[in-house]
Amino acid sequence: MNEIITVLVNSLLAAGLYATMSYGLAVIYGVMRIINLAHAGILMLGAYATLTLNSRLGMDPFLSLVVVIPVFFGFGVLLYLTMIRRLPRSSGGPSIESLLLLFGVWLVLQNLAYAIWTGDTQSILTRYTMKSVVLLGVRVGIPTVAVFSVSALSLVVLQLVLRRTYLGRAIRAVTQNRDAAMIAGVNADRISAAAFGIGTAFAASAGSMLATMYAFTPDFGRSFLLKSFCIIVLAGMESVAGVAAGAFVLALLENFVGGYTTLPTSFQDALSFTLLVLALVAFPQGLVGAFSRATQRWRRLGRA
Amino acid sequence: MKTRGVFAAAALVLLLAAPRFLERGTLNDIWNVAFAVILASAWNLLGGFAGQVSIGYSAFIGIGAYTTVLLSLAGWHPYATLPVSAFLSAAFSVIVGLPTFRLRGPYFTIATIGVSEAVRVVAAGVAFTGGSSGLRMPAGSFDFQRDYSAMVVLAVLVVALAAWIQASPFGQALRAIRQDIDAAEALGVHSTKYKVLVHALSAALVALAGSLFAINFQYISPNSVFDFRLSLSIVLMPIVGGLGTVAGPVLGALLFGYLQIKLLSSPALRDSYLFLYGGMLIAVMLFEPRGLLGLYRRVRGRITRSFSRPVPDAG
Amino acid sequence: MPADAILGVEGLIKRYEGLLALSGVTFSVARGEIFGVIGPNGAGKTTLFSCLVGSVQPNSGIVRFRGERIERLPNHAIVARGLVRTHQIVRPFRDMTVRENVSVGAHFGRARLRGAEAGRRVGEILEKTGLVRKAEVLAGTLTIGELKRLEIARALATGPEVLCLDEVMGGLNPSEIVDAMKLIRSIRESGVTVLMIEHHVHAVVGVSDRILVLNFGLKIAEGKPMEVVRHPEVISAYLGEEAV
Repeated sequence: MNEIITVLVNSLLAAGLYATMSYGLAVIYGVMRIINLAHAGILMLGAYATLTLNSRLGMDPFLSLVVVIPVFFGFGVLLYLTMIRRLPRSSGGPSIESLLLLFGVWLVLQNLAYAIWTGDTQSILTRYTMKSVVLLGVRVGIPTVAVFSVSALSLVVLQLVLRRTYLGRAIRAVTQNRDAAMIAGVNADRISAAAFGIGTAFAASAGSMLATMYAFTPDFGRSFLLKSFCIIVLAGMESVAGVAAGAFVLALLENFVGGYTTLPTSFQDALSFTLLVLALVAFPQGLVGAFSRATQRWRRLGRA
Repeated sequence: MKTRGVFAAAALVLLLAAPRFLERGTLNDIWNVAFAVILASAWNLLGGFAGQVSIGYSAFIGIGAYTTVLLSLAGWHPYATLPVSAFLSAAFSVIVGLPTFRLRGPYFTIATIGVSEAVRVVAAGVAFTGGSSGLRMPAGSFDFQRDYSAMVVLAVLVVALAAWIQASPFGQALRAIRQDIDAAEALGVHSTKYKVLVHALSAALVALAGSLFAINFQYISPNSVFDFRLSLSIVLMPIVGGLGTVAGPVLGALLFGYLQIKLLSSPALRDSYLFLYGGMLIAVMLFEPRGLLGLYRRVRGRITRSFSRPVPDAG
Repeated sequence: MPADAILGVEGLIKRYEGLLALSGVTFSVARGEIFGVIGPNGAGKTTLFSCLVGSVQPNSGIVRFRGERIERLPNHAIVARGLVRTHQIVRPFRDMTVRENVSVGAHFGRARLRGAEAGRRVGEILEKTGLVRKAEVLAGTLTIGELKRLEIARALATGPEVLCLDEVMGGLNPSEIVDAMKLIRSIRESGVTVLMIEHHVHAVVGVSDRILVLNFGLKIAEGKPMEVVRHPEVISAYLGEEAV
């Protein structure tokens, strides 16, 4: 029983971070139908930015988010204006050109990181890095709890923005039907820029937070990228709640495998990759889509 | 078609005769370029002709290389291992392809990244592959003259095969699949069958290249043959040269071969290869998605059009 | 299903995310007929065609083609058996020439032709559909009328027994419509059964042997053109209750 609680608590804590990381990918895909492979590079840069702020200015990693978020929002908008906007919009689904373009951006960012910070493994140590606290009978590290709290908070803020502000409604409208939104007066171009900025900011902040928990190199980000894909495929990209649920499912699976088998962590990554492939194949509409269809059938039966 | 055949034969003869008048260093470079040509052209069959971009081809190189080394260590003649490596690679491609080909466009691409990472991780972790320290070919199996000829012959064969496919109904089916898979299905094209077939062919050819690589290089390790960067180069060559054409991958391979040589010789540039690859991808996607060949055709089109502008009617 | 029926549909149902596109459609088509399918927008006509040729799987119901049940088969397998459709929104292979487009049908359809024979068949069809002059031109540069004809040509090249035309007259001017009707009749002369979805009720009435009328996914009438257009439900479906 205790083991199950351990798994659940750890999964919940991990899920918060995964959700934040994935939402960045989801909003860009939802608004522009673009798969942002540079997400991994942004994640990595967020970590390095926090590292630099911490080592040069002594800034606490969580405090550095105040700097990281706006800076990377701007960076995302810049990326959109200089490159993404120039791409030919493909009819219907996502284009391979945007995929490869962003892949190229990822590579360039990696090289940038190698050049500035070298390939040495880095990590961030603070007063509380090694401290831990007991939650529901499970011992968890303070950084992990802090990361979860910040993630949960940002997702709540995000949900509020999506529901209560014009920007949020516009984003949801463009995600559901770009043409209809444009007819209704939404400036799809500006919303796309904002979405790219938001997505980038989320990715960078996830990277900042990851930096408090893990050691990293410029190659950092690839396995997180794949985990994020896994989650947004499981969850579809329409709702924050969906992404959170998908993040939890993945975290749960990882912790189960980690807790009950003796496979090394690299095999756990292989697990996410395999899960991704299976999820893509079995649920083209995302798990949430399949779930909502199943409950619809149920509700219809109830009415009849 | 006939002129192409003559061209291919001439190229083959020249390349095979080269050892007589070129130095070993240059021959090595040719061997490297031939290796790249095979990888780029074979990948282009699936990625360019059929339009299914896979960033996981290092898996097939690895399968080819490891099959050859392991069987050679077990006593097989190195060249006898080739059919086995081609077969295993094709079989693996079918196992991977059948579920993933249900995915469209970029989703397929992401799935291939996932698959190849999983393969690399497993290969590094499993004992019989020698783990991360790699394996060495048995002593006495090295013969540069023979290995050089083999790589060069395979390269010419692969390019000739690509040209033949492009002109055949099979190639037409692939092109239709690339442009509009549903419309192709609506005309009777069994898209999954063709995708799986071309994937298997492509995987087999890449595995053969991997086997020849192992035979000549004599040492392999998971990080060298299952490397993600290798998968990346394989994708970049045809894209930069001209996706979906026959000459494009060859152009791309020549360019990359040249770049590799330049990069390796200058330590400053060696660490910048990611900049180079990334920059090239960005440049190609933004300015000329059809690559060098596309650029050439665009320029040539503009030139011929400016020479053939109709004279305005006087009346 | 009548003995000489080449195509029989029973209780076809198709649901899309809570929308019932087809609610149990039943009809049959005789060999050699020109069979019209009409109905207001959103009636389910294109969905019906998609279910017939297998590009979409119906939720339930039976489709019988030449006596064989085909409702679970994939698109390419149904084309191989001789049932093919054109698309309402044209889908040409833009980077191929007109001739290449048509030859895809010839190479991979029921006919499975190769080499010189395929070339001959493509040439005949280009003539029949009036596309010979544009044969070597890239499909992406054609006009809408030409693109509609290309859709028909490609489908014909597969050598079908039944051809389903989806609004091939959409966007055509009156003289083009007359040519289209002539083409459809000549296709029937050559032994192909034709189903056609059309909004131009005059054209459909003028060329069809029998007509099926759909509304909200249900059949509301089936029979000879003159009977069908006088059917009160059909009139009210098109013009509203007051017109009856």
